[in-house]
This record gives sequence, structure tokens and C-alpha cells, in this order.
Amino acid sequence: MTDSRKTIVVTGIGVVSPYGIGVDCLQAGMLSGKCCLAPTKDLYPGFVGSTAQVSGLPPLQNEFGPRYSRSDRLAMVAARDAVWNLDYESTALRGSGVFMASTVAGLSEIDPGIAEDPAAWYRRGGLARAASYPPARVADAVGEYLGVRGPRCAISAACASSAAAIALAANMLLDGAASMVLAGGSDALCPFTLSGFNSLQALDPDPCRPFDRNRKGLNLGEGAAVLVLETLERAEARNANVLAVLRGWAMTNDAFHSTAPHTQGKGLADCMRLAMEMAEVSGDDIGYVNAHGTGTSLNDVAETNAYETVFHERKRPVPVSSTKSYFGHCLGAAGALEAIIAIIAVRCGVLLPTLRLTDPIESPSADWLRGKVLCHEVPLAMSVSAGFGGSNAALIFGNGQCRSGRS
Amino acid sequence: MTPNLAAITGIGSVSPYGPLAGLIPPCAVEPEAITAWPTSGLRRAFLVKPFRPASVVPGLKTRRLDRLSAWALVASSLAIQDAGIDLSQEDRSRVAVVFGTGLGCAELTEAFFHSAAAHGWSGTDPSPFPEGLANAPASHVALWHEVRGPNITVGCKTFSGESALIQAASLLRHGQADLAIVLAGDTLTRAVYEWYEAAGLLSPACYNSEPVTDGSGFVPSEGVAALVLEPNGRRKVRAYAHFSSGRWSVDGEAVETIRQMLGSSVPNVTICAGNGAPCATSSTSALAGKISGTSAGMVRAPAAAGLTDTSALLHLILALSSQPPSGQALLLGTSGENGFAALLLDLP
Repeated sequence: MTDSRKTIVVTGIGVVSPYGIGVDCLQAGMLSGKCCLAPTKDLYPGFVGSTAQVSGLPPLQNEFGPRYSRSDRLAMVAARDAVWNLDYESTALRGSGVFMASTVAGLSEIDPGIAEDPAAWYRRGGLARAASYPPARVADAVGEYLGVRGPRCAISAACASSAAAIALAANMLLDGAASMVLAGGSDALCPFTLSGFNSLQALDPDPCRPFDRNRKGLNLGEGAAVLVLETLERAEARNANVLAVLRGWAMTNDAFHSTAPHTQGKGLADCMRLAMEMAEVSGDDIGYVNAHGTGTSLNDVAETNAYETVFHERKRPVPVSSTKSYFGHCLGAAGALEAIIAIIAVRCGVLLPTLRLTDPIESPSADWLRGKVLCHEVPLAMSVSAGFGGSNAALIFGNGQCRSGRS
Repeated sequence: MTPNLAAITGIGSVSPYGPLAGLIPPCAVEPEAITAWPTSGLRRAFLVKPFRPASVVPGLKTRRLDRLSAWALVASSLAIQDAGIDLSQEDRSRVAVVFGTGLGCAELTEAFFHSAAAHGWSGTDPSPFPEGLANAPASHVALWHEVRGPNITVGCKTFSGESALIQAASLLRHGQADLAIVLAGDTLTRAVYEWYEAAGLLSPACYNSEPVTDGSGFVPSEGVAALVLEPNGRRKVRAYAHFSSGRWSVDGEAVETIRQMLGSSVPNVTICAGNGAPCATSSTSALAGKISGTSAGMVRAPAAAGLTDTSALLHLILALSSQPPSGQALLLGTSGENGFAALLLDLP
């Protein structure tokens, strides 16, 4: 029996990706097999590598407050896309919460001049730029833009941030703290993060090859993704179109190392198990896993070990792909973008392969999707995220047929 | 009556009052002159006096960490000690860490910019990069205490502390953790202080030796406050306070939302949370008056605690330290025209 007050559903999706604005654009681009990763040289002097950039982003000037950062603008456009069918004056939208993740936020607006003499840098116009620095600013930008007045929050769990934002938003809805929550993440490409990952020697100069034995690292991308979440009761009351059901969610930490994942993927495996427990499903019920799959040496092995732990009792290996091979790692936006690809899997029955996966890591429990797009019904799909500091998050989506609510 | 959700059973803090376990003994602190960077004339703030983390928590290694991470490690250790919890006897996969911060690891973020200024973006020093991430303090708390539950860092304009407490309670309520270490804090760096200064937010007391007064800008502070939060009745131990419910919004209908949250509860004490907003005390008093009339007593945010986006938890600890009357308390903070955060607590 479905308890509609305790069932969390997705009623809106907004995306800004290197394919353009909107989920249709994302889906069509990925189905065509187009890879958005391209050689990049202009992000800072001396950088040579592959990134996936968003072009044609509207300028969106802030008439009332601080300057909008690129991460703010990505988030605002994605949020507007997510609520396109809602009346902006409706009580449901005005009372909504905004839970947005970002690892970059307004860092894209700040340059090294701030370190040498902050006061002088502020006098040179930095004051308005620095106002967009706090991570909470992205959620505020979305809230101000849409006139949304509920609780706003920034979530930081490194590269698992926006998956965690979705999980925490679901908790808030169960608590009755908001009628609806716009949850997701946004991150812009900027010299700070490119230089940081480059200094850690984590970047592959060529397009990445997740789960391939010959992988050499990750590529960075940019984008934003926002889900409109609400209880089924609320969605039914306003006759909303239910796009998917968030059946289970969980967050864990490896408590292993500040940057490296647990070698056996223990924390990630625990996270997947907890999400399946909440969804009241077994490993056999999961029809597709959208992997974290960064293409780094350590992540992909740890993640493969986690799949072995969780899915080794399945009758057949679980279909897994990493869609970072299409548009890179969008950091704080990655979890939400990949959640949307999991939703596409359950809504449309399309499973996207990992690009450039020619010599996969051996794994008896994972069916590495490669080569061609698979088309078949997928009742449940899981999106898995992990990040620096040992953060893990797992989300399980089902199609609009609600089977059970949580007690 | 709103049911009590969770008990605050442990307190730890690293603040201008020093690193302390439990309540903060009555003591006056004054803003101190900033010497960590060159200033043009006297500049004051409420500062954490330098100390060796390992002298408070034996074995702690913090040399490469942002001060925010180091203080989070010390404050969390003191709170766990104060709660009388032996983590080796707990299921560590069921212990959550929720950290609230306004600006994150500003010190190492600035260090990375320094590195870029000195060597160009192509020659940056890798060590400050991952340690400058906003979630680094929460991650280090998990690593040090070997706790593997949900690990979340939240930021919310002026209400990061309240938001952290509300979301930690939510994790307990939904059975996603059995115990939560809730922290909130920020550090004061040159870029942060000069930003406040350039924006004209600072109190005159930052520029001379006059006493701090309310209503004319604010005196920044720094530090980390930590609470141990656990479901009521999980252990038979003393609780400093019981958390019932909370709401926050930066642009909401404060009176209506808070009344809805309170239901039939009638708080007899209002604790002014202060928050990062200058002159917050007077607007908080006005909001408290609209909600509870004039019947509820007011525990004001001590100016000596200073203000940041995350100072609400420190102000809560200071309020509890001032031995408020038992009963229901409303921790209330305001920001701007319509921003508010409200926590309903039961005080034993």
C-alpha cells in the first residue's frame, strides 16, 4: 500500500549541460553518441587538456544584489527549466525549498590577486565578485530568481554533493519543512579547480576512459541539474506529472583517507545496500547503475570492488555505465546530472554505454555497458556518487508506478 | 505539545573562550588586536587564541590542515568526551557528522590562490587544494573518529548552524543515523576580514578599544561549536536540552511559519541566536515579541561571542551556560527583512 505522504516523487527536471539547455537536448545528444569533451587551451595559460564546456549561457544580470557567478547562472537556468510548467506565483512554488550543491560556487569570480592584497582587490571591483563566493550563494541565486521563499541550503560532500542534496531534500520533505524542494547542483569550469586537479595529477589530457584498464584520469566538465521533488500526496493534489519515484537514498563515509577511496569500496557498498534497504529491493531488482566512474586509477577499482560486494549474488551481472565519458566530471553537479540519466533509464528504457571502454576492468558482477545503446524496460535504476573526504551517496529511482512508501 | 526528537548530550567548543568541553564558565572576553596580517591601524575581532590541538586531544596531527578542520577535530573530540561516549562501543556506521559553515576552509583556499599568484595556475601547490574543500572538516572528523555514517556539510546564509542542527535531527528521525556529531564554525582570515571591512559591516569597536555595543555593525569572530545529538532515551544520561523541531528561511513568512511549528507549545524563553547579521538582536526581539508577546524572557546573544554565519551554536552553548529557566525555549535568529531560523528546545 502506497503512503502518498511518505513517497517522494520527481515532478520536474532541469538541465544545463554541454549539450545545451534541457533534458531533451541531453538525452538526444547522448543517444547520438556525441562526446562533448574537446581539447581546451584557453582556461589558463599553460593548461592543455580535455574539458566539456557549456556555451550560449544567458548573461542574467542581478539587478538587486551581488553579481551572479557562472555557477549561479548555470543553476538558475537549470532551475527555470525544471519549473517551466509551474505558475511562478503558485503557493507550491513560492513555499519551496532550494537545496543546491556546488564545489566551485563563486570561486570562478575570484583571481589570485585577492591573495596578495585583499583590500586593494576589493577596491578594484572585487567586492561584488567576492559576494558570490559563499557556497550558499548558489541556492540564494536560484531562490531569488524564481521567487522561492522556503528554506535554502548549500550542500558540500565534494563530488557526491548534489546526490546528497537530493537525499537531504527528500528528508526535509518527509519532515514537512517545505511543500516542494528544488534540489541539485551546479558547477562552472574555472582555473581554480582545473589547476587543483592538475596539480594532483588526476587529469587525463585526452577524453577519459572510465573502467578501462588503460584509463589515465578524469576530465572536468561543467553544468547544472535540478530536480523538483515533492511528496506523492502533494503531486497528486496539484495533478502533477510524476516523472519518477525516488525509492531509496543513502549517504555514508569511508572514514579511510582524505582523498583516496577505500580500496575495497566498503563505504560505497554500504551506501548502495542502505539505499536498497530503504527501497525494499534486492540487488536483482536494480536494472541499471549509473556509476560514479571518474576514470581515475583508484576510484574505478574501488567502485568495481563495491559492485562485487553488493551484486555478487545476482543471477546476472548488473548493467553499469559511466556517463562521465560523454561530458566529463561536473563535480558538484555530477550527482544530480547522473540522477537524471538514471531517471531517463527508468522512464524511457534506454541504457547508455560508457564511451571508449575497450578493455574493461574484470568484474564478474558488473555488466559494463559499451558499444551500443540498450533499449529495454528498467523498473529501477541506481545512481552512485563518491567524493574527496570519503563521501558516498546512492539514489534509487523507479518509474511513476508507486509500490510502497516508507513507514 | 511537540514531541522531543533528540537530546543534546555533549558539548565541545573552540572559541574565543578557548577549547572547552561542556558549558562555558562565566568569563568576559574582549576583541583582540589582529596581528596575523598587516593592518593599517588597530583592527580587532574575537579571535581563537593559538593552541596546540594535540595538547587538547593527544595524538591529533593537524599540521597540514586548515584551522577550521583542526578546530572541528578538537571540538568534536571534546563534545564526545563530554557526552561520555566510547565510540568503540558504538556502531560507527551509524554515526553521522553534520557540519555547518558559511565560508568553509578559507585559510587554505587563500593559500591555493597565493600559490597561483606566486607560480601561476600551472604551478600551484597541490597540498592546499583538497584540504580547502568545504567538506574537509567533516571528513576529518569522520576519519579521526572512524565514523562512517552520513557526512554532510551545509551552508546557509546566516543560518548554517541552525540548518546543521535541523538536518542532523532529521537524519536521526528517519533512522539514517543513531548518533550525530553536529558542528558549526568559520575562521577569520585576512581576505574575509577585509571583505567585511570593504562592505562597511564592521562595528566601530573593531577600530578602537571601545566596548562592543549592539546595533552599529558587528565584531567578527571565529571558532567551531560541536554538539552530540542522539535520540531521546537512547542512553540514561543528562541532556543539556532536547531538540523538538526547527524551521529556517532566508525570505519567508516568519511569524506564520514559526507559529505553525510551535503548535500548542508556548516557549517561556527566547534565545537570541545572533547570527551573522549586524543589529540582529533588535530585529530578533521584535520577532520574538510578535510570536510570544512579552511574556517570554529573552536570553540575548552575548556581544562578546562575536558573530559569524555559524555562531548560533556557540550562542546556544552560551545561553545554556547562563542557566536559563527550565521549560520550552525558542532559539531565534533573523536576517535581512524576512530571513529567520527558529529551533524549539526543551530545557531541563
